[in-house]
Amino acid sequence: MTVLEDLAPPPKVEVKPRGVSRRERWQLRLPLLPALIYTVVVTQIPFLVTLWYSFQSYFWNTPAPASFNGLANYKTVFTNPAFRGSLVRSVVMTVVAVIVAMILGVLFAVLLDRKFLGRSVVRTLMITPFLVMPAAAALVWAGPMLDPQFGLLNYLLQPFGVHHVAWLSTHALGSVILVMIWQWTPFMMLIVLAGLQSQPSDTLEAAKVDGAGPFATFRELTFPHLRPYIELGILLGSIYLVNVFDAVRLMTNGGPGTATTNLPFYLFQQVNNAFDIGGAAATGVVTVILTIIVATFALRMFARVFQFEEA
Amino acid sequence: MTAVPVRDHEPAALRLRRMSGQVGWGILAWVVGLAFFLPVLWMVITAFKPESAAQTWPPKFVFSPTLAQFRLVFSGWGPFVTHSLIATTVSTVLVLLLGVPAAYALSVHPVPHWRDGLFFFISTKMLPIVAAIGPLYVIALKTHLLDSIWVLIILYTAMNLPLAIWLIRSFMLEVPREMLEAAELDGAGRIREIGEVILPVISPGLVSTALICVIFAWNELFLALNLTVTNAATMPMFLISSVPQEGLYLAHLSAAATVASVPVILVGWIAQRSLVRGLSMGAIK
Amino acid sequence: MANVKFVSATRVYAKDAPPAVDALDLDIKDGEFMVLVGPSGSGKTTALRMLAGLEPLDGGRVEIGEKDVTFVPPKDRDIAMVFQNYALYPSKTVAENMGFALKMQGVPKEERARRVHEAARLLDLDDTMLDRKPKALSGGQRQRVAMGRAIVREPRVFLMDEPLSNLDAKLRVQTRSQIAELQRRLGITTVYVTHDQVEAMTMGHRVAVLAGGHLQQCDTPRQLYDNPVNQFVAGFIGSPAMNLQTVPLTEGGARLAGTTLPLPTAVRTAASQAGLREIVLGIRPEHLHLANGSGPVAGEVMLVEELGADALLHVRLAEDHNLVVARTEGRKPPAPGQQVTFNVQPDDVFAFHPETGARLAG
Repeated sequence: MTVLEDLAPPPKVEVKPRGVSRRERWQLRLPLLPALIYTVVVTQIPFLVTLWYSFQSYFWNTPAPASFNGLANYKTVFTNPAFRGSLVRSVVMTVVAVIVAMILGVLFAVLLDRKFLGRSVVRTLMITPFLVMPAAAALVWAGPMLDPQFGLLNYLLQPFGVHHVAWLSTHALGSVILVMIWQWTPFMMLIVLAGLQSQPSDTLEAAKVDGAGPFATFRELTFPHLRPYIELGILLGSIYLVNVFDAVRLMTNGGPGTATTNLPFYLFQQVNNAFDIGGAAATGVVTVILTIIVATFALRMFARVFQFEEA
Repeated sequence: MTAVPVRDHEPAALRLRRMSGQVGWGILAWVVGLAFFLPVLWMVITAFKPESAAQTWPPKFVFSPTLAQFRLVFSGWGPFVTHSLIATTVSTVLVLLLGVPAAYALSVHPVPHWRDGLFFFISTKMLPIVAAIGPLYVIALKTHLLDSIWVLIILYTAMNLPLAIWLIRSFMLEVPREMLEAAELDGAGRIREIGEVILPVISPGLVSTALICVIFAWNELFLALNLTVTNAATMPMFLISSVPQEGLYLAHLSAAATVASVPVILVGWIAQRSLVRGLSMGAIK
Repeated sequence: MANVKFVSATRVYAKDAPPAVDALDLDIKDGEFMVLVGPSGSGKTTALRMLAGLEPLDGGRVEIGEKDVTFVPPKDRDIAMVFQNYALYPSKTVAENMGFALKMQGVPKEERARRVHEAARLLDLDDTMLDRKPKALSGGQRQRVAMGRAIVREPRVFLMDEPLSNLDAKLRVQTRSQIAELQRRLGITTVYVTHDQVEAMTMGHRVAVLAGGHLQQCDTPRQLYDNPVNQFVAGFIGSPAMNLQTVPLTEGGARLAGTTLPLPTAVRTAASQAGLREIVLGIRPEHLHLANGSGPVAGEVMLVEELGADALLHVRLAEDHNLVVARTEGRKPPAPGQQVTFNVQPDDVFAFHPETGARLAG
């Protein structure tokens, strides 16, 4: 008969509490750090320096060193009509260009959504304006296209009674906006086209069976579906378009007078023509604050728009 | 070719309407496409003209083409194109080196507050670089980086990094969960995971990210204009230099514009499909 | 309420490819529940879409209510369709989804609301759901909304494209009977597409079996089961499937498991007229009756699948080693490895042409 011996109790196992250890947390963070540190250094340091200089009187073309002048620069910014003018012009240019580019983008996307002979070629042709170097686009429009004596546009518009218009003199702002629209419509079109092509086809068929004609289908189904795409396009387009510089500098150089001077160009002038580092810095800070205000709304919209990819 | 097929017993009126509708649509699309492309076409045509043929009224469509303008362009573009190539490729490589780990830390194994991290990066894109151009000039001067290719490389990297992080992140999020879990079960550590599982899967995505960065860096004018003179002048600067103060040189500037734009146009044509994704920062697949 | 006719309806996709639907002739009576069933690629969905007007016809015509509608656009055919993935309008509420077609017809708001409510009640959709959007609904709820959208129209014909395939098994069984009941109540001609032969058998007044774009047989479920016109129908209808084996012909019958199963004279005549040495023999699992060692067909049990009320025996037959499935009482089935024998009634034996698959002397 076997006797059951008293077995020693099993050794106690230390159960580590669940949770992320310090080492693991750093392991998570480490990959992010290089990009983060780099971005902070390269973007925030200039901004801090800008902030510092905004309280200085520092003119680039004189030997005198920077001297503190308090809020004088800021006062100048707010009283200077040139700044306000450039701000208004920036808003006008951006709003008009974004809206027209989006409307055209929607129309062209609808056009490209249906099959026809050579569709991919047409699509390639249509995105080319966006790919042209903005500086090149500006020069080509300013010269061969819009030249009052030799420009192509005047030639094409002749049957409509247009005679040798000096576009960059008499319709300067319109010309610049035209080039902005020409370059950015493909961007809007591609985004809206992605939206159109992501519509499930059976929903469109159901609408056909339910008796909806093409306009009703677009109004009731397609447009609500496109809304997040349109919003994304307007948002991103505005971010890019508000910073447009090349066309202004190379087509009209901000003129005639200040007719096409937007914010980026105004800042450029302050640095390069007025050599006014202090003033440019203060203008820069005000611009950034305005941008932050607008961007806060934009970022909230961004978050909402980016949710739709999860839906 | 989408042939307009013949249907049995189709009433003639219906068939006519259907076929004309389809053909009409195609014609409209072609007209719009060509109209939009016209300035580009005109640019290329003008580039082959001698100046005398470029400055005529009415504008000439028929002329005897010459390569004289291009020869001029190619004789002068040497340093500019070199600088553009260096600035573009080095900054893009840096963007990928910094961006891939960052995107990883914001997607596959997200750090706490990853949302804030993402929005920080995108906020730097929203703040206009133009605002800091004065002080940037001063900083560049004081660090002896003014008119050096490095100032462009540094700034282009910072310019493209947020975009790249959002984009690469969107690609990483598409890697199937099961693949990562299988790798984990097989004992893959973090580095292995990135190198052997994630990178191969997202490599097409990395290519499109790189292409988008190349497009933006190559075309960039504002920083190049303000922070370089001769030693680091890029292609956009070359373009400006091809427009002298006096006189009209339409053919020459067209040739310069064509040469400057062709690389990006080709890149964009080839990478068409990924263009939308890149431009929307990964929001639209 | 109308009858539906496919007259030599044909649809070809690629120029040299075989037609997706090949000269389909089908007569569907007014108020009938007709099921189109077949494996994937059989053309059943294409035929439905041709009836809906979503696919053009490359030959033949389609009639609704004795009128040729081949070139009539979908919205003018007075039909309603339930799509496989429901195709609900994501930006609209349930009520708006259901009322959409009426809105397109210009029906005033109150009338729309009334009909939507009526349909909702019919389908057990309560009022709280009416203001929700599709993405807030479960699969079963979405399916009912899709049905409601069709019912509200009070069309002449209902078209349903595999409406149950995205539901889980239990919900499928439940909804199956609800749909059949609904159709009985409303009496609207219904064309229903499915790949599931159980659905076909339980729901349809008549079932049309399609394969490779061709109509194989159109009959009542009972007829399809008892009198399949060819090997495909015989093997497709009935679960578990009919046992089909190629066996040699002998004097007086066919040789199976080392024994000769008698075949009716008509079959033997047809076989010899066609010059056949072998035939495809078909016996349904439930027609292989377990005999206690005395049956002519012998074999060894390889596997037993116990289903509760029944058991399915996978048996390797003696001599020719054909594998067959037999159904028996669930209570005390034989064990794997056991030797068993079966009885077969001569009337339960089907014979098919080994090349054409046609039933010999049906």
